[in-house]
Amino acid sequence: MEIIEKIKTNKSIDNQTEIQKICLDKLQSSPLPNLRSEQWRLSNKSKLANFLDYSVNENNSKFDIPYPKNSQSTIRLIIGENCQIKLIKKYYSIQQLSKDELQKYIKEQISFFNQNENWSDLLNLSLSCKNNILGLKINGSKIPPIEIFSHGSSNSLNAKTLIVFLEKNCNVELLQVNLSEDNSSLSQSTFFCLEENSSLNHGVVSYGVNKSNLLNSLNVIQQKNSEYNLGSLHFKFNYARFEIRIKQSEGNAKTNIKGMQITKKNEQISTYTKIDFDGPNGFLDQINKSLADDKSHAIFEGSIIVPKIAQKTDASQLSRNLLLSNLAQIDTKPQLEIIADDVKCKHGATISQLNEEELFYMRTRGITLTEASKLQLSSYFQEIISFIPVAKDRWDLLDKLLNEN
Amino acid sequence: MQSKMKESHPILEVKNLFASTDNLPILKGVSLTVYPGEIHAIMGRNGCGKSTLSKIIAGHPSYKITNGDIKFLGENINSLEPEERSQSGIFLGFQYPIEIPGVSNLEFLRVSTNARRKFLNKEELDTFDFEELVKEKLEIVKMDQAFLSRSVNQGFSGGEKKRNEILQMALLEPKIAILDETDSGLDIDALRIVASGIKRISNAQTGIILITHYQRLLDEIKPNYVHVMSDGQIIKTGESDLALELEKKGYEWTDNFIKRPK
Amino acid sequence: MVNKNLVKDVVKEPYKYGFVTDIETEKIEKGLNEDIIRLISQKKEEPKFLLDFRLKAFKKWQKMKEPDWAALGYKKIDYQDIIYYSAPKQKEKIASLDEVDPKLLETFDKLGIPLTEQKKLTNVAVDAVFDSVSIATTFREELAEHGVIFCSISEAVKNHADLIEKYLGTVVPASDNYFAALNSAVFSDGSFVYIPKGVTCPMDLSSYFRINSGDSGQFERTLIIAEESSSVSYLEGCTAPMFDTNTLHAAVVELIALDDSSIKYSTVQNWYAGDEEGIGGIFNFVTKRGKCLGKRSKISWSQVETGSAITWKYPSCLLLGEESVGEFYSVALTNNLQQADTGTKMIHIGPKTKSTIVSKGISAGNSKNSYRGLVKMGTKATGSRNYSQCDSMLIGDQASANTFPYIKSQQPNSEIEHEASTCRISEEQLFYLQSRGIEFEEAVSMMVSGFCRDVFNQLPMEFAAEADKLLALKLEGSVG
Repeated sequence: MEIIEKIKTNKSIDNQTEIQKICLDKLQSSPLPNLRSEQWRLSNKSKLANFLDYSVNENNSKFDIPYPKNSQSTIRLIIGENCQIKLIKKYYSIQQLSKDELQKYIKEQISFFNQNENWSDLLNLSLSCKNNILGLKINGSKIPPIEIFSHGSSNSLNAKTLIVFLEKNCNVELLQVNLSEDNSSLSQSTFFCLEENSSLNHGVVSYGVNKSNLLNSLNVIQQKNSEYNLGSLHFKFNYARFEIRIKQSEGNAKTNIKGMQITKKNEQISTYTKIDFDGPNGFLDQINKSLADDKSHAIFEGSIIVPKIAQKTDASQLSRNLLLSNLAQIDTKPQLEIIADDVKCKHGATISQLNEEELFYMRTRGITLTEASKLQLSSYFQEIISFIPVAKDRWDLLDKLLNEN
Repeated sequence: MQSKMKESHPILEVKNLFASTDNLPILKGVSLTVYPGEIHAIMGRNGCGKSTLSKIIAGHPSYKITNGDIKFLGENINSLEPEERSQSGIFLGFQYPIEIPGVSNLEFLRVSTNARRKFLNKEELDTFDFEELVKEKLEIVKMDQAFLSRSVNQGFSGGEKKRNEILQMALLEPKIAILDETDSGLDIDALRIVASGIKRISNAQTGIILITHYQRLLDEIKPNYVHVMSDGQIIKTGESDLALELEKKGYEWTDNFIKRPK
Repeated sequence: MVNKNLVKDVVKEPYKYGFVTDIETEKIEKGLNEDIIRLISQKKEEPKFLLDFRLKAFKKWQKMKEPDWAALGYKKIDYQDIIYYSAPKQKEKIASLDEVDPKLLETFDKLGIPLTEQKKLTNVAVDAVFDSVSIATTFREELAEHGVIFCSISEAVKNHADLIEKYLGTVVPASDNYFAALNSAVFSDGSFVYIPKGVTCPMDLSSYFRINSGDSGQFERTLIIAEESSSVSYLEGCTAPMFDTNTLHAAVVELIALDDSSIKYSTVQNWYAGDEEGIGGIFNFVTKRGKCLGKRSKISWSQVETGSAITWKYPSCLLLGEESVGEFYSVALTNNLQQADTGTKMIHIGPKTKSTIVSKGISAGNSKNSYRGLVKMGTKATGSRNYSQCDSMLIGDQASANTFPYIKSQQPNSEIEHEASTCRISEEQLFYLQSRGIEFEEAVSMMVSGFCRDVFNQLPMEFAAEADKLLALKLEGSVG
């Protein structure tokens, strides 16, 4: 109940937008997600409570981006700071969604929500005020890479919402960066709609410091002949949850996902993915990697749903996990639910430590155990990191990870 | 040349070595001494312990030495890590070279070579200088530069893997090379390339141990000594003609030499 | 050109074992309460510890909720509308098989399980269970010579009370789940096996379960104990007549393997599955679990599940002993409106434990076939390994195949590998076989059988042939 009280006391009813009212109303009936449900049962209860423990921050907070300075070649947007954008160029345009468009779209999305599955989105939308919602529609070609930052400032609960329409035939590289300060909670909800023939190379890099918390929810609707590629990396969070829901609304679309989460100390990071094929000829290639060290806990749950209408779906899901410490824990559950018969679906999961034979081979060539482990880790990371757009050229993520691991 | 050898100090001395894995004894008292310039061949049936012997000399963590010593250049190396053994000049050519997806062959070779060079107090090589060095060595094994940009051994054919092993041997310039069935799975041309590579790399200061089933590698590289292993022991030692005799008479013939405890 | 509908037709096959034996039975009144449990216990002349065990289980059951599995939809069961004890009327004490009602012998004869001295199967000892009681056990004397005890569990309660008291409920505690609690309260009969130290059981042991009454539930209980360095292979078969009501079958099987022992437990389950509209059929809710208590002990489950309207079954292994081994090989075929939710749990507790899971699900018609499994590496399971492979074959576009593997590790020095895939019989494959002169029906059954090969290879000889035949039967039918 507390969370609702907190949101309510934070502002007067009059100040709430219609969306906030709808979501608050829905939250009222389930102020917390059903912690016994599949999606939440492994979530650390006290960490989730801690997430909700901070007071809501609706102010714009300036912050320094520790990473590469603004570059001419990219478009950089910071949610909550410079939400005004209107770029109309020769080959493309990037424009803000109008208030009505935003309202209409979000309301439509909410009507599809499943209370438990979309609890993070309900929370997000009931918290994020006007300033913290960024809605864009993009069309055209030769669009420079876009970077979008969300920021969780210390000692507060922050909510940022991103909505992007990719219009027909348009293709974009978009890197989303979630940065969290110490003792902060960030709720990030993202909605993408990929229209016919559009393609999006999406990167998500989320990192915090010791006591950062993150609820990161990503909802993607793919119309036919669209292609969605996601490379994601989550690390250094006391508690982080990455929910991915992708719907190929008419099938005939391509989805590639390569995600990674790294947990250390006492951290818990989880990834939940649900891929719906609502039409034939869909394609999915997904790999999720976890690395758990110290006393941490990494979780992956993926489900692929192939109904009767989704004939000729080709879906593959892999969960690869490295468990590096006696006190760490990994849970993984890749699931397939299939009704169509003419489909190619497979999934796989492994949990192990670094490969001993490979290590020995390198050691017989004079490479020390530490270095050999590093080489192995770097190849383990590389596959994912090289899939994250924009970042690979300008951010030295691999070095950052290797130096910290 | 042969008589001179004994005056120098041995490179490798294996003394009454007993070893086991998962409490299962594999080596049951192996002794072997290799002097500079010598080529030894170890032959025997599958499962006789010859591959295990090579892995133990290289320091594989799965095996435990329960008795005996391994000395390299006079120093006991029983407790050295595999990388320390490699850096000090012990090279193991794997029977099944390991595939390491994602790790570039060039980077792997460079890190490995520099580790050895560091041990020898030689200057470590940067990427450019190293590429020069590798190009030179590639010629020895007749390999294409394209190999360098691929992942270590991944997708290599059997022959390519073995040539990659010899390339590593050429880069590391070991004092002693133990080549575990380097000849298996090679066609005759590849065998010649590998054999000539081994000959070019070895010299009067290095020792070589060839582990093999067949005579054909020994036709290319003539060993000074041939040892026959069975059930974790060396049951017979002779000169190169022993291999020929073995080829003719088969391993059953050597069963007669097994020392059975009374 | 191959017509898709043909494949669907092939999987229609009438149930062969649907007849009812007309025999006078003694039934107690419907419903479940403490008095009923006391009555069952009294009828079976049980010692007090067992009555207490039942009553305690009943109390627990009353407090429990029926599991609500997302993938299983079925009509609510009215537990007061079931008869908990039903037995064919016969003389008080039967001295030999000759005194068994010939109708019963004939029933088992018809099922392919002859019990009489002249006709009995040669290499297999059989314990035949009819509704709530064990009718006969063959080869008892021969087994006794080796010290092997093989009898009905009611008999074991009388003659080997110490073993029952020591082991009953130690692998599947009464409070384990809703159906296990129910079984613990009302179990009627089942088999008991005890293999003494160092003995390799001279022949396969087999129980054959037959549900005859339409309104009684079957709650059998099986307990197998393998002492140090012993081994046994146990086979279980099941059939039931066709009724348009659903009959509840809630069994519990407990296996205990001590140092260096091995138990192989094979099931061919062919309970009545209901008709094409999904009317009738057995609700098969079974708890099967083995405890590898001893070092290097091994428990291997293999099952061919083709019957029942609903199957809910997860034969599992608790791998406690160092270097103990657990195996699960399963073929589950569902057709029409059948639902199967089956799989296994491999709980690695001790070091260097190994487990293998091979599951093959075939779904046809409007059926639902789910694999649900758990592999867990505990903190002490260093050097342990698991390999799982779960394949599904879909026949027709109305059937569903789900895979829900839970994988959990708390031990870095252990390895878990899970693979799953789905496939169907492709037209190219069928064409290829047909172009080599193989009949359509045979081609389908060849491919299904090939799909299941890894599992059939694990079945004992007697069963492998039966399983193959059973699958072929289920897949046989009118072609176009």
